[in-house]
Amino acid sequence: MDELSGVLEAEYEALTQFLYLAPVGLTQLAMDGTIAMINPISAQLLMPLSRDGSLDNLFTTLRDVAPELRHLAESFGKSHGVVCDSLRVQLSAGVRGVSDPKILSLTMLKLDEQRLMAVLSDVSHQMTRDRMLRQNEAWFNAILTGVTDYALMSLDARGRVVKWNASIGRVTGFAEAAVVGQPYSIFYPADATTHDRVLDRLHEAEATGWSMDDGWRVRANGTRFWSSAVIVPLLELQGADDDAYDDAEYADDARFCLVLRDITDQRVGSEAHRLQTTCDHLTGVANRRTFFDAAEMEIERYRRSPRPLSLVLFDADHFKRVNDVFGHPGGDAVLREFGALLMTTFRQIDVVARLGGEEFAVLLPSADLGNAMTVAERCRLAVEASEVNADGAQIRYTVSVGVATMDPGVSGLDELIKRADAALYAAKAAGRNRIEVWSSGSPCPPGLRKG
Amino acid sequence: MEFDQIELLPVIAAATDEALDTLLFGVIGIDQNGQVLRYNSWESKAGGLSRDKVLGHHLFTVVAPCMNNFMVAQRLDDALADGTPLDATIDYVLTLRMRPIKVKLRLLAAPPSAQRYVLVQRSV
Repeated sequence: MDELSGVLEAEYEALTQFLYLAPVGLTQLAMDGTIAMINPISAQLLMPLSRDGSLDNLFTTLRDVAPELRHLAESFGKSHGVVCDSLRVQLSAGVRGVSDPKILSLTMLKLDEQRLMAVLSDVSHQMTRDRMLRQNEAWFNAILTGVTDYALMSLDARGRVVKWNASIGRVTGFAEAAVVGQPYSIFYPADATTHDRVLDRLHEAEATGWSMDDGWRVRANGTRFWSSAVIVPLLELQGADDDAYDDAEYADDARFCLVLRDITDQRVGSEAHRLQTTCDHLTGVANRRTFFDAAEMEIERYRRSPRPLSLVLFDADHFKRVNDVFGHPGGDAVLREFGALLMTTFRQIDVVARLGGEEFAVLLPSADLGNAMTVAERCRLAVEASEVNADGAQIRYTVSVGVATMDPGVSGLDELIKRADAALYAAKAAGRNRIEVWSSGSPCPPGLRKG
Repeated sequence: MEFDQIELLPVIAAATDEALDTLLFGVIGIDQNGQVLRYNSWESKAGGLSRDKVLGHHLFTVVAPCMNNFMVAQRLDDALADGTPLDATIDYVLTLRMRPIKVKLRLLAAPPSAQRYVLVQRSV
């Protein structure tokens, strides 16, 4: 008997050590997020996110960076299965040359009606590779799926359509005279691209081999279609660099190929998936991860060719009071209305995102401080004048706003966010329901700011 | 010896292994590379690992990866690198036998001595 228990004990110890050493984070939790079992790597990854030094509940610990988790678990209809697969959770933007963006990958399985299993790993270094892979996939999709309707055209170094062909007319309804010599932005809704963005995509195609974006396009008659647009460089000039763009000799040659596919039909099927992975579940605006992806790309563009770029942070005032008085359904209604208001007030090219809790961010490409303030102030006034209807109750609320803009002194995304955050903090400190702009004298917000 | 006794480091460093085994809190001693030099029986029981599985192994990668972040490992390494004494007590969660257990960690270092200690006490 003693010998048997000795063997069992040794096996137990080996098993314990095996779990201590497993290089991924494993956590078993109840349906409400309460942590039952957790291995050391999980604790190592999660402890820096814990506000009160405890690890009692996974959903609570991750609420600032992955607010959708609880909802995903609750709304998962089946008795068991994969609740989310490799959900990327962005912890920090990273500081160029100092630290990489910190990103966790989270997979959650429902084991039965009582138990969930979460698998966490640090994928910070995989991010760049990941982005390339996603583009690859999109590009192969473009080639391999039996596409019957696409418009194919060549663009010059400035993004102007060089030659006419019948496919352009078939997909977009435009006539030859309206297209040739015009930049490809004529196929985009007016607020969905800018002159800068038109050139950015060309540069990115040149740098990486292609540039891809999915979104709304317009036909000649004003109707919209959902489209995947891929730009590929046509030829590599000897010693091609930025100077070549300004070289008059090459300016009118075909340099790029643009493929516009009408995928309105496919969109219906993939829409649910796209929404789940890129949008905030409650408000429908972009989620944290989408925001950081887009913002990082915009900062890259700024570095290559500086132009205005502004960031606006919004935070609902006294939100805890709204929740206390009207309950969480009331609070949720306010967040939904505010998300919708942001989406209708800002341009399509702006990235509207919920960063967590009651904090929202809007990134405005090619917009200077004045442009950003004008729209942000319009939003603030609209909120002040609005009433949210929740279960018969009329809720009035206000928002505080912090605005910052890129300049050569800003080291990167991390610092731009810090500046907007400092401005937001100043707006809160000055009495709320107001807008503040970052200045070098802005106070530094203390760690976590609420309310 | 008590967990929160002042000037505890020299007392722990001078104590025999037998004396450390009588304590009602965990004691882990590491060298300049993070290898475990001392591991008392409270810690062994709580963690479910016997002393001979732990001594000579790297604390933050092999024995207690849950402390391998800026809150614990970084502070102990910084103390050694900067030559500044460290005596800090923090609230933490250890994964003893895969259960999340609230503890207080006391981090002790007195450079130039390379021997540093992590003390573990269960929070009540």
